[in-house]
Amino acid sequence: MSVPLKVKPNAEPLPQLGSAGVTLDGRYLPPPEDADGKIWVRTSRLIRRNSEDLYRAWRDVESAPLWQEQIERVSVTGEKTSHWVMGSGDKTIEWDAEILADEPGKRIAWRSVGGESENAGEVIFEPAPADRGTIVTVLQMFRMGKLASAWESIVGRKPKQAVIENLRHFKALLETGEIPRTDGQPHGSRGLVGRIKESAYGEKIATPPGLNRKAS
Amino acid sequence: MKALCWMGSGKVEIQTVNDPKILNPHDAIIKITRTAICGSDLHLFDGFIPTMEAGDILGHEFMGIVEEVGKSVDNLKRGDRVVVPFTIACGRCEFCQKKIWSACDNTNPNAHLMEAAYGYSGSGLFGYSHMMGGYAGGQAQYVRVPFSNVGPLKIENDLPDEKILFLSDIFPTGYMAAENAQIQDGDTVAVWGCGPVGQFAIASAFMLGAGRVIAIDRLPERLELARSLGAIIVDYSEQDVSVLTALKDLTGGIGPDACIDAVGLEAHSTTLQGIYDVVKTTLMLETDRPIVLRQAIQSVRKGGTLSIPGVYGGLLDKVPFGAAFGKGITMKMGQTNMHNYMKPLLERIEKGHIDPSYIISHRISLDEAPEMYKVWRDKKQSVTKIVIDPWIEKAA
Repeated sequence: MSVPLKVKPNAEPLPQLGSAGVTLDGRYLPPPEDADGKIWVRTSRLIRRNSEDLYRAWRDVESAPLWQEQIERVSVTGEKTSHWVMGSGDKTIEWDAEILADEPGKRIAWRSVGGESENAGEVIFEPAPADRGTIVTVLQMFRMGKLASAWESIVGRKPKQAVIENLRHFKALLETGEIPRTDGQPHGSRGLVGRIKESAYGEKIATPPGLNRKAS
Repeated sequence: MKALCWMGSGKVEIQTVNDPKILNPHDAIIKITRTAICGSDLHLFDGFIPTMEAGDILGHEFMGIVEEVGKSVDNLKRGDRVVVPFTIACGRCEFCQKKIWSACDNTNPNAHLMEAAYGYSGSGLFGYSHMMGGYAGGQAQYVRVPFSNVGPLKIENDLPDEKILFLSDIFPTGYMAAENAQIQDGDTVAVWGCGPVGQFAIASAFMLGAGRVIAIDRLPERLELARSLGAIIVDYSEQDVSVLTALKDLTGGIGPDACIDAVGLEAHSTTLQGIYDVVKTTLMLETDRPIVLRQAIQSVRKGGTLSIPGVYGGLLDKVPFGAAFGKGITMKMGQTNMHNYMKPLLERIEKGHIDPSYIISHRISLDEAPEMYKVWRDKKQSVTKIVIDPWIEKAA
């Protein structure tokens, strides 16, 4: 077969399969659509760290509370299994998770196995062209049956947005060593309208501690 | 501490609030020695910027003395004198590495709000709405400065605060506007708006080699300042003055090589078109009043450059894009990439190339600030720049 364009000084070979299914044989694939009670979210960010460092940070599930919103505690229960506790105030939900695929420096896939959240996910660490860091793509699925309202009342964000925010926190923490925050700063009197807007902005959700927790 | 709080459209007041504290490893707490009201604070005052909340502390132009630093800050210590850029940058992300500091990916805790409104998020800013980070501002006695390992510039000379303070925003903003105008030696540059940013754009255009600068405004005190820098002044409010005709007359018919819009979204105009925009923004059919942008596109020479330091917030109507395409103009704009300019401009101040304090018209206490917002907005007095000492009871 003839090759129509020969001069491509910086082009990479076409990816075969990567980024939680963003491309397949050089063709872009859209994210899965919500159906049958399953909702899907796919999000990706360029992070200026190498894929090995990022893989190690993500794979260390017990440190997830440092950067995932409202995850209170994660305990490793086996080589591939862990127990997750999410909550705010006195309300919590808990579930067990198992790792389905584990390719160091490249990819982790997991699912919940029993408990109060039915979810599954995959994260792919793909080097960006020209050493510009790593493109981290998360694909996550939640089955929202009766659990949906319980979830939202605790999480305070739609689950899709929570996945997006968590990847944003992960990036900030891994690039800078902290997660940007304003909770705890001074302000004047908010008034009634201000308090309503505060919760509408999602500012009631505590920013994960980053490395602050380890320090204190 | 005392702080100036936004309490709703057209209302700011001084309240006693908690002192800020260290919240993150790269934070510093600064005791503010001088702070200022920026023209863009008037956009907040007038309620043009969404996601403001009652109780928000305003102010993004300030300097002071380091009071305390977080555990990961090793470039500053208690007692250092610093001026702080109004944009917050992490120094590590893709954008900071490219020196597009105002696009920093890691400093806006409310990036999702801005993404919902605009489809992207820029860096966090001090005292400029929740969408832009929700950080408490510096029209106060103390402020928390995140990523203080990256932003604040240490001042090691003994020049007075007033000569240094404007490195926090308006001098670099005016300078970047002139740099974005891609000035070649001898160029003619037109500047709309002779407020503080326009003033520094005029001064910077001359420093970068402009042969002639044409300054457009309606307020006599501002035009006088512009003339004192060596600009030709055009008062658009005078009867029979048409800006477009004036710019042709002053350039042999070809138009300025570069146009700088230092006005932005709340442009004032005396023409029918201006009334049209006021009606449309009042009815919320457009968000911005792009009168200057229209004039700049219409008047710039073929192949010229349009530089926009003036703030725009949303949707613009009746922008003559056909003329922009037909002339093949270049447009450059955006929030200032502060960190690129603070040090070189400090050197210019130290060498005596420019004394930025020439624009100050009012020196006040924090308690007098709420009234001065109204005075400046309503152009009741000859205001060019208001500087606040947050520690005095009442200005002399």
